[in-house]
Amino acid sequence: MTLTVVNNATCTFCGCVCDDIELHADDVRIVKAKKACVLGTAWFLNHTAERKYPDALIDGKEATLDEAIEVAATYLHEADMPLVYGMSNTTCEAQRECVALADLLGGLLDSHTSL
Amino acid sequence: MLRITGGKVYDPANGIDGEVRELCVSDGKFVSAVESGRTIDATGMIVFPGGVDVHTHVAGGAINFARAMTPEDHRRTQAFIRSQTRRSGLGGMAPTTFATGYLYAGMGWTTVNEAAVPVLSARHTHEELGDIPIVDKSTLVLMANNEIVLDLLENGEYERAKNIVAWYIWAAKSYGVKAVNPGGVAAWKWGKDAKQLTSSIEGYSKLTPGDIILQLARICDDLGLPHPMHLHCNNLGAPGNISTTLDTLQHLEGHRAHIAHSQYHAYGGDDWDEMRSETAQLAEYFNTHPNITTDAGAVLFGDTVTITADGPWQHLLYKLTGRKWGNLDIENETGCGIVPYTYRPSNLVNAIQWSVGLELLLLIKNPWQVFLSTDHPNGGCFWRYPEIIQLLMCADFRKECLKKLPDKIKQRITLPEIVREYTLYEIATAMSAGPARALGLHQKGNLGVGCDADVVIYEHDDDVARMFGHPRYVIKGGEVVIEEGEIRATPDGREFIIKPHYDPGTEQFLQPLFEDCYTMAFENYPVEMERLENPDIRDCVPNL
Amino acid sequence: MGGKVTCTLGEVKNRGDFIIYWGGNPAECHPRHFTKYALMPKSKFLPNGRKDRTVVLVDIRPTKSAKAADIFLQVRPGKDFELITILRAMIKDQKISAEAVAETGVTLEQCTDLVARMKKAKFGCVFFGMGLSMTRGKHMNSAALLTLAAEMNAFTKFVAMPMRGHGNVTGADVVMRWQTGYPFGITFNRGYPRYNPGEFSTVDVLVRGDADAAFIIGADPGATMPQPAIDHLARIPTIVLDPHITHTSKLSRVHITTAVAGISAPGTAYRMDEIPLPLKPALKSPYPTDEEVVRRIKESIAKKPFWMPDGAQMIAAQV
Repeated sequence: MTLTVVNNATCTFCGCVCDDIELHADDVRIVKAKKACVLGTAWFLNHTAERKYPDALIDGKEATLDEAIEVAATYLHEADMPLVYGMSNTTCEAQRECVALADLLGGLLDSHTSL
Repeated sequence: MLRITGGKVYDPANGIDGEVRELCVSDGKFVSAVESGRTIDATGMIVFPGGVDVHTHVAGGAINFARAMTPEDHRRTQAFIRSQTRRSGLGGMAPTTFATGYLYAGMGWTTVNEAAVPVLSARHTHEELGDIPIVDKSTLVLMANNEIVLDLLENGEYERAKNIVAWYIWAAKSYGVKAVNPGGVAAWKWGKDAKQLTSSIEGYSKLTPGDIILQLARICDDLGLPHPMHLHCNNLGAPGNISTTLDTLQHLEGHRAHIAHSQYHAYGGDDWDEMRSETAQLAEYFNTHPNITTDAGAVLFGDTVTITADGPWQHLLYKLTGRKWGNLDIENETGCGIVPYTYRPSNLVNAIQWSVGLELLLLIKNPWQVFLSTDHPNGGCFWRYPEIIQLLMCADFRKECLKKLPDKIKQRITLPEIVREYTLYEIATAMSAGPARALGLHQKGNLGVGCDADVVIYEHDDDVARMFGHPRYVIKGGEVVIEEGEIRATPDGREFIIKPHYDPGTEQFLQPLFEDCYTMAFENYPVEMERLENPDIRDCVPNL
Repeated sequence: MGGKVTCTLGEVKNRGDFIIYWGGNPAECHPRHFTKYALMPKSKFLPNGRKDRTVVLVDIRPTKSAKAADIFLQVRPGKDFELITILRAMIKDQKISAEAVAETGVTLEQCTDLVARMKKAKFGCVFFGMGLSMTRGKHMNSAALLTLAAEMNAFTKFVAMPMRGHGNVTGADVVMRWQTGYPFGITFNRGYPRYNPGEFSTVDVLVRGDADAAFIIGADPGATMPQPAIDHLARIPTIVLDPHITHTSKLSRVHITTAVAGISAPGTAYRMDEIPLPLKPALKSPYPTDEEVVRRIKESIAKKPFWMPDGAQMIAAQV
């Protein structure tokens, strides 16, 4: 099958954030990451678009996305001191939503940097 | 739909000076009549067009660096408390994005111009602008130390330079051009500065700051940018810099320009001990050259944080004060320096600076030429503008303030002799109609039919600072956003951008030069249109 | 002192003729840092690339990065702050004691040579890694090194930059600053942001048992945090958003699988020098993005009663 080629793709594995990677991908996996270093190549080739995991788990049992969102919202809403933490391996767009979430909850907000 | 009745209207764009008029609004714009909707009875109140800030620093890498450096201020300053629908925020020297929108709107300002954007991090600036609610925004990109442009100017390749400037403006999704310390920031990359307009710049064989000033002003005019070159002159802040500033103005050779924060550029004397005001000379130049505008960059006493692309000046300020110093040099394009600062009335230099800002506002006769600004946050925070309005409108209050300054200041300033008091009409010009016209935003600062329905309504108060600090109503795009001291709505603002014309071969020419000196892929450099929230592309017609 | 004297990576590529790596191992942790930014590139000002640069590595042992350096200085573990302080004194020609130097594991000759080279540089840059910022002295070490770089500007152009690590941690810093004023360690429990690392930072909050629910995204604290913190995460309702079932997922009440940033999710990420870059996913994920899921959770919460009673919109000064 023909591969999709993405030029000047951005690698977020380390803080160098190289944006000159040439990715070759089929439907579900990246098969080649030209110019990427050994860490970046592993990062691109080890993540696929396969459905490897359930959409969601509630108490370890498979659940739908809608159910999981409602349960998560209820837990966070009921808490007196909810914590929003992490935000390393995600986009700025998601980070903006995370800050908005902590702001709405009156909760705690923290990243990897505090470690 | 909305009707505002009975108010005394000050609308300098249409020559209306305190007449009782009715304003009608539909779909965010003024119309001649409406049939239904809310009526605001403004009888006895004062109606202005919403304020326009021609020069401020509210979004992007530099102010965000300043936020990182001033946690001690965040923890003491104004705090906006979260509601179910409204985000929280902190004010102070470097307010958070949400608080920036609340504070500007809270005193009736509805349009702001972020005056210093490096193209390399323009994506960041737009992300922050998207998080500043209520107000409309525009931005200017930093061009006077861009090494690709400078190399072309050194080689006399004017047309190419012009195309590349246009390309950069569109790549950044910006509105115009800012020039900061032309050549001086490029020299700072080697730890040097450029103070003489006619001496060649470090790293160049013949290019001088004067060449950059003239060529960039010409490029802005030829591209037909709605706002002329926005110029932060060389030699900012230094005693005796009046000669550099006047020299700069002469280098323009008749081209349009907006001179940023002229307070910092009007000093006499040979050193700090001898520093004095030279506003009379500078004001005279403006009074005889109506094609040049300026903003005051006025200083208010108190704590602030200084932020400028003028890296060498900030290094000097750090050495003078021994306070925190942030510096961020940006590849190929510009620099940035940050130093927290406290202006003290007991400090002779600070007292002169305070006086110089007010003198310029009072000595430049035409309020269409000189606009209210503190170069936020450099001379003071924008939310202190009502204090400046009080100083301009009340000569007695100025006299009281002067008494608190050191005695020996008297021979070094002219403020004590100035009796002028701004009228409401002149304030409306300097805070709204004037800056809107200078920015080429004809739908702003204007209460005429077809213009954006941005209105601020004050209840008369003898305490001028209180009156301007606490408007009764603020209306943005026809929506009541502030009412009786409360935030009622936080709509998204728009971003004004332009697409200047450039030769289609520009990218092909630029790409190899770009790849030599940048670390980002050329293809990834331009900001994508979809990253802007509510972009509004304005006309830009080249002068051929 | 305080602040940071720094630049974007392209400035180092174009001008940096003297490079120090302190407490970092880019050869293994940031593999393209040498070739793309700091050591190898040729430029207008450094036409011979690597040959025009001098490279120094300071670390507690000769890592793989030592091979790439011209000079390796082996500092005794935990003595970084002392060595930096000695260098700060030496650049100003202040007196230093031989015993103090001896304790650092680096000789006076090495220090003298380093200072001479730093001053001779046209554009110096010191990159520092977790070997400096996460060992004894922590942020004090970083502050000392940033101060050394700032003070070097009395002699020549000199900058410093932290070698920020994983993923988009820099972006988190940048976003939190513009929305809250602070970079991390924040609480909104009074309805507006307050900052106090040690009080509001995650490990402290969890070890004390303060938090009564946790929302974890783009991180796996179940694999990296001290055991008492992990134990508390297991006790409270923990919600995880991650492309994989992680250690934290296994102790959580809710796990939601999401698309991978930059591989199957679009958006923006910040480089270590705070330059934003667009992400260009090559794959189409069967899962939603983090952005979408967080927004939906937020919207669901927004429909429930708000936690704070109506009151003042603003307080004029915090006390």
